[in-house]
Amino acid sequence: MNGWILAATVVLAVGLGTTLWGVATGPLGRRVVAQNLSTALVCPGLLLLSQGYSRTAYVDLALLLALLGPVGTLVFVRLLADELGDNPPQAWGPTWVAAGVGTVVVAVLCAVTGPGRAMVKLLVIGALLVGGNLLASRALSGGFPGVSRD
Amino acid sequence: MNPRTRLWLVVLGGGGLAALLVAACLRLPVFGGPWHPYGDRAVRAALARHTANTVASVNFDQRAFDTMGEMTILFGAVLGCVVLLRQARDEHRDPPAPCEVAAPVRRYALIVLPVALVTGLYVIAHGQLSPGGGFQGGVVAATALHLMYLGADYAALERIRPIEAYEIGDALSASAYLVLGFAGVLAGSAFLANTLLPYGTFNMLSSGGTVPLLNAAIGMEVACAVVVLLARFLDQAVEIEEGSGE
Amino acid sequence: MTDAVVVVALLAVAGCATAAVANRDPARQALILAVLGTSLAVLFTVLQAPDVGLSQLAVGSALTPLLIMLSVRKVRRRSAHGKDSRQ
Repeated sequence: MNGWILAATVVLAVGLGTTLWGVATGPLGRRVVAQNLSTALVCPGLLLLSQGYSRTAYVDLALLLALLGPVGTLVFVRLLADELGDNPPQAWGPTWVAAGVGTVVVAVLCAVTGPGRAMVKLLVIGALLVGGNLLASRALSGGFPGVSRD
Repeated sequence: MNPRTRLWLVVLGGGGLAALLVAACLRLPVFGGPWHPYGDRAVRAALARHTANTVASVNFDQRAFDTMGEMTILFGAVLGCVVLLRQARDEHRDPPAPCEVAAPVRRYALIVLPVALVTGLYVIAHGQLSPGGGFQGGVVAATALHLMYLGADYAALERIRPIEAYEIGDALSASAYLVLGFAGVLAGSAFLANTLLPYGTFNMLSSGGTVPLLNAAIGMEVACAVVVLLARFLDQAVEIEEGSGE
Repeated sequence: MTDAVVVVALLAVAGCATAAVANRDPARQALILAVLGTSLAVLFTVLQAPDVGLSQLAVGSALTPLLIMLSVRKVRRRSAHGKDSRQ
């Protein structure tokens, strides 16, 4: 067992554990936040796993999750607008922690990979992941004024 | 059948299934062991046909006929959905009011839509080289189109999604898979046999004989099928109202 | 020791699946199902089956939630409509 897999185990255990607790209990708003954070934390875990198994092809999984995870959260934001509209959930602390974990993991992996096409792919994944999750979180907390629902 | 008998029937069936599963598990090779009789043969066959991703070789070469069955299941399921979720006689279409979406969400959707489409095509095209393939890439490409609904509204999605074209594309790509299979028969070997094309250079995009072609057919079939399926669900959820109109 | 990550993934899948069964509201079940999808993708990855993991991610992260939530919306609109016409 190398350090990468150990780091991935820690990230996945903490990430999946907390988000499972968040998504299974409490009010609806907290559950949507937890669903958003689950993709934000599992994606760095998948990147660490791909480095730990030294299989660059596994990066595709993280790419897909970084692309589709925020899309899934936006689906819930759109179709649960009625229920979430009354008291939009605010969770900036956990959101920034997740974004920080993603940034640190992508930066470390970029430093290990060195310049090249693999590094460009990692940077694209990082940008999609952090950007998407911050945007989904903001849409969730009702941070955009003057929005009506259809 | 009264509830008591039904309960006994469930207990009997479940108990029998559990006993059989336990018996089967006891004879399984140990977890993570070195003995892989099927895996070794599959890898050898994949390498002989210059296919880097053994899973793609199993799906589209060694077990291509099974994949045809799976494709037929998806095709039939979507066909069933189209029939069940059609607009009934006592329903009418009520175009939803235009929806205002926050500018950052709209910009995000417009940026991510092309990226996700290209990623879907990349996953389809590299199916024979790295994890992925027609099914995964097709679903990603179809999901990408629906960012138009999340980033704007249903009318915007309908403008970029002529549903008839996707229905025709679904049928065409399903038949393309069959035609590729019969091409093998015409060329003198068997249905779906991978003997038509040169195997190419190992680990290049054009390697693996017919694997990339069958992969592309499945990719197009899945993408069109998912778009048609979601269109029926969206129609029902957003547009179709009960009652025969005002 | 390498199996620790397999154990974590298995526990997450078991926990999510139990929570999905224990909840009764379809919208909440859809949320748990999305997390279950990502846990399953992790499990497939640590068991060295990235092809299956990719399928699970593609279907589970956006497509399944969209299908379930659209059905929930249709059912709710329908019951609201029924109430209106009866009143």
